[in-house]
Amino acid sequence: MSLELREVLETVQMTEADQFDIRTVTLGISLRGCGSRSAEATRQKIVDRVLRQAEHHVAVVDEISSLYGVRVANKRIAVTPVAIVADGLSAAEFVGIAQGLDEAADRVGVDYLAGFSALVEKGFTPGDRALVDALPEALASTRHVCGSVNCGSTKAGINADAVLDVAHTIKELARLTADADSIGCGKFVAFCNAVQDNPFVAGAFHGVGEPGVVINVGISGPGAVLRAVQDLGPDADFGTLTDAIKRMTFRITRAGELVGRRCAERLSERTGEPIAFGVVDISLAPTPAERDSIADILVAMGLEYVGAPGTTAALAMLNEAVKRGGLMAARHVGGLSGAFMPVSEDQGMIAAVEGGHLTIEKLEAMSAICSVGLDMVAIPGDTSVETIAGILFDEFAIGMINDKTTAVRLIPVHGKGVGEYADYGGLLGRAPVMPVSTLDNSVFARRGGRIPAPIRSLTN
Amino acid sequence: MPDPPRSRPRAVALRCSSPPNLALLSVPQDLRALIERIAAALGPDATPAQVEAVARATLSTQNGQPAPVPASPTVGAGPISGRIIVTSYGCDQPGILAALTTELFEAGVNILDVSQKILQGYFTLILLADLSDSGLSPSEVQRRLAVHSDRLGVRTLVQHEELFQAMHRP
Repeated sequence: MSLELREVLETVQMTEADQFDIRTVTLGISLRGCGSRSAEATRQKIVDRVLRQAEHHVAVVDEISSLYGVRVANKRIAVTPVAIVADGLSAAEFVGIAQGLDEAADRVGVDYLAGFSALVEKGFTPGDRALVDALPEALASTRHVCGSVNCGSTKAGINADAVLDVAHTIKELARLTADADSIGCGKFVAFCNAVQDNPFVAGAFHGVGEPGVVINVGISGPGAVLRAVQDLGPDADFGTLTDAIKRMTFRITRAGELVGRRCAERLSERTGEPIAFGVVDISLAPTPAERDSIADILVAMGLEYVGAPGTTAALAMLNEAVKRGGLMAARHVGGLSGAFMPVSEDQGMIAAVEGGHLTIEKLEAMSAICSVGLDMVAIPGDTSVETIAGILFDEFAIGMINDKTTAVRLIPVHGKGVGEYADYGGLLGRAPVMPVSTLDNSVFARRGGRIPAPIRSLTN
Repeated sequence: MPDPPRSRPRAVALRCSSPPNLALLSVPQDLRALIERIAAALGPDATPAQVEAVARATLSTQNGQPAPVPASPTVGAGPISGRIIVTSYGCDQPGILAALTTELFEAGVNILDVSQKILQGYFTLILLADLSDSGLSPSEVQRRLAVHSDRLGVRTLVQHEELFQAMHRP
């Protein structure tokens, strides 16, 4: 089958003009078996495992990126939830593990290492407790390490004690990293229904059902989808829009599949042991760059700003079309595979917030249908722990009832209020501080215990 | 980046396994005119071998039907071939095609197909080549072509052909 000129030009236009890139090639590494009798021995085993498995990761991804002329924005590592690996250590010793992971990440040259995590939807083990206590200092004292806590699931319900603990963690992280606009909170995600093969940080971890080492890929490409929508103009109906988005997402996902497979193949050759290619996560990750915006796609569909009536439906349609194209293109799709709407990382989202058109409540509605959650949302630094817990409860209830992943990456920017900005630069972008409700919810937030798992019939 | 052409799409041959079918041209007048155009495009410094390399590639696309290449059963499976697609675009000026093809020729890169168009005043070149005999990697080719691209004010990309197959074939 021969290529046509227009096909060559289409691909070149995507890589040259549409900001098309692969957001991340993430190496998942199992740390099972690294637990040892002493904290120091555990730390050393973990560091050695990461250094050995990831030694060639960055070089290989760079080679494949150069071969195809497709930029890979980030090289990352995901590890087994550290609370499982190092159960039995104290909070201070967990901080030491995080610092060891940070050194290892630095030496192998990855952008982020994620998996400083605990899964506590039903309750805490001593290791889970120690890790959650260690989280603020662990993330504040490291550059590359990201952490997460899974607080609920459709099967288990919501662990209300964990939600309150996580709210405290977020506040403390914000305080410890106050001199950098509370950037520590950008490295932490709280989940309901966390997935085991997510390649995207900050919430990535290498699930216990995963193979020893695996490559997962997260795609990007809002700019290319935006052009596909804009080219159709205002008269195309939703079926036509869906077809155009499907076709573009097919191409984007295929590029991700190709890069992932070739990276896994070349890494296997370098390390001498088979490294599997896992999944393509078909979330269209935006960046702060011009035109690389999910919000701009919704605007191109005919909304004045994100937040206008119809926004939730537009996002639902976009994400369904992305899934249809992506599923056709890849052998295995996994991870989060939902719409990412990180406020600070998307120019269109920032513009909508600045204009007063987009609120946390509207973002919450969007997360009910397909968005992954409240992502990179800056809120006033004096927001109470109970209010943060309430926002977490609401998001997790949406995830639990709808049997979907919901995630929260909130940044109570220390010392800042509505109208000010948290400016991080790079992929993390610039977040306008958004107002939150100040109504009192403290009795509810402090009740503790567990919200029971939902009934799976009578679904209205 | 110019918009893709909206005229009838033209196929780029992906494999030149057989000699060009000269019978399809009204030889010798068409052939002579074609060679003269290629020689003129390559400029006065072109060697006969350079003219022949570009002419063979061009002729191979005139056969009516380009030789089919089977789609890979699995994306990213099997050995990686040496075939690259070079794309160059920018403001038109004489000598771009000549400079790039001369560099490829001197590097021992086999040009399989070439297409040059002026789209809305923009020079656009798409070239399919095989690096197998050159011993060069795509990034080395990119580096060598970049010297000329920078001088001529055009942007030149070198990308492995497999990317295009993966993105445009089911």
